[in-house]
Amino acid sequence: MMHLEIISPEKQMFAGEITIVKLPGTLGSFEIMENHAPIISTLTKGKIKVKETNGVISYFEINGGLIEASNNEVKVLVES
Amino acid sequence: MANLKDIRTRIASVKSTQQVTSAMKMVSAAKLRKAQDAIHMMRPYAEKLNEILTSVSSNLDSSIDNKYAVRKDKEKILIVAITSNRGLCGGFNSNVVKKTSELYFQTFNEYSQKGKVDVIAIGKKGAEGLKSKGIKVTKSFLDIYDGMNFTTVSEITQYFMKGYTEGIYDHIEVVYNQFKNAAVQNLITEQFLPVKPEEIKEVQSGKGEMRKDYIFEPSMQEIADIIIPQSLRIQFYKAILDSVASEHGARMTAMHKATDNAGVLIRELKLQYNQARQTAITNEILEIVSGANAQRN
Repeated sequence: MMHLEIISPEKQMFAGEITIVKLPGTLGSFEIMENHAPIISTLTKGKIKVKETNGVISYFEINGGLIEASNNEVKVLVES
Repeated sequence: MANLKDIRTRIASVKSTQQVTSAMKMVSAAKLRKAQDAIHMMRPYAEKLNEILTSVSSNLDSSIDNKYAVRKDKEKILIVAITSNRGLCGGFNSNVVKKTSELYFQTFNEYSQKGKVDVIAIGKKGAEGLKSKGIKVTKSFLDIYDGMNFTTVSEITQYFMKGYTEGIYDHIEVVYNQFKNAAVQNLITEQFLPVKPEEIKEVQSGKGEMRKDYIFEPSMQEIADIIIPQSLRIQFYKAILDSVASEHGARMTAMHKATDNAGVLIRELKLQYNQARQTAITNEILEIVSGANAQRN
């Protein structure tokens, strides 16, 4: 289980416990699961796919951004 | 003694002005809340961005090239004055104008003599105020406050950043009201570009221990290339949001005072009115009595 926050300069788009998140990285799409090594990466235009612990899947359209993950805390800064 | 009807009309007019000012105060209070919310919404983003910037710059060897860093000498200076489009907000706009002209005529006097200082006004009041002070406003952005969001503000920021990277300007200062609380605004002058090197160093030494071994993807350089402009955009966006919140705070305070003053004025006028009315009645009775006396004799 990880904690994910998706924030834009104007609002918080998502906050909650998740099992997996799929992100549109600049070098290609990638996923982050539990106990991922600390990473900072850039994101490009695309869709973020989030699977919450209760199984609900949701999508977020982004135009680019940044992601930082460490200690099962994932923060995504997006430009929407 | 002013006549009764005159006083009555004045009371009515002061009362309706008081209603207007108290309505404006209410509107400003609502708008202030909205503006404060926007600041609160932006804060987590700004904090996280700063944190990432810190982790990047603490892992960074200074070899990373940053086109927003300090360079040689100041050649051409740009002053950005952030004001509002509407007035009736106390010293909010005039303070910015005053500070800007102080920068223009004193601090950067030697540059402005040579025509090396450009002034850009954001907000109608600033553009007008600066013009009346005899400062040439190179460009003004007047309609950013309608439907303002991060994207529209970023377009303006982009204009400044482009001006810096292309070498049109070597130094950019922003003058605006920083939001403290509803009653207090701090007028500040902030160096927007170049990015101050000591700022980054400060963060480095402070948070150096928290350094983690991050994987950087695609590369530190590319991440820095994205983060630095983004944090500049955020910095400017914050300045605009602060200015908007300050504007409403200042207007709220100004309107509150106006409403209070109207109340005082009404009390005085009512006293005058009652005195005049009493005099009129006394006169009338006096006339009746003397008329009756005259008939009795």
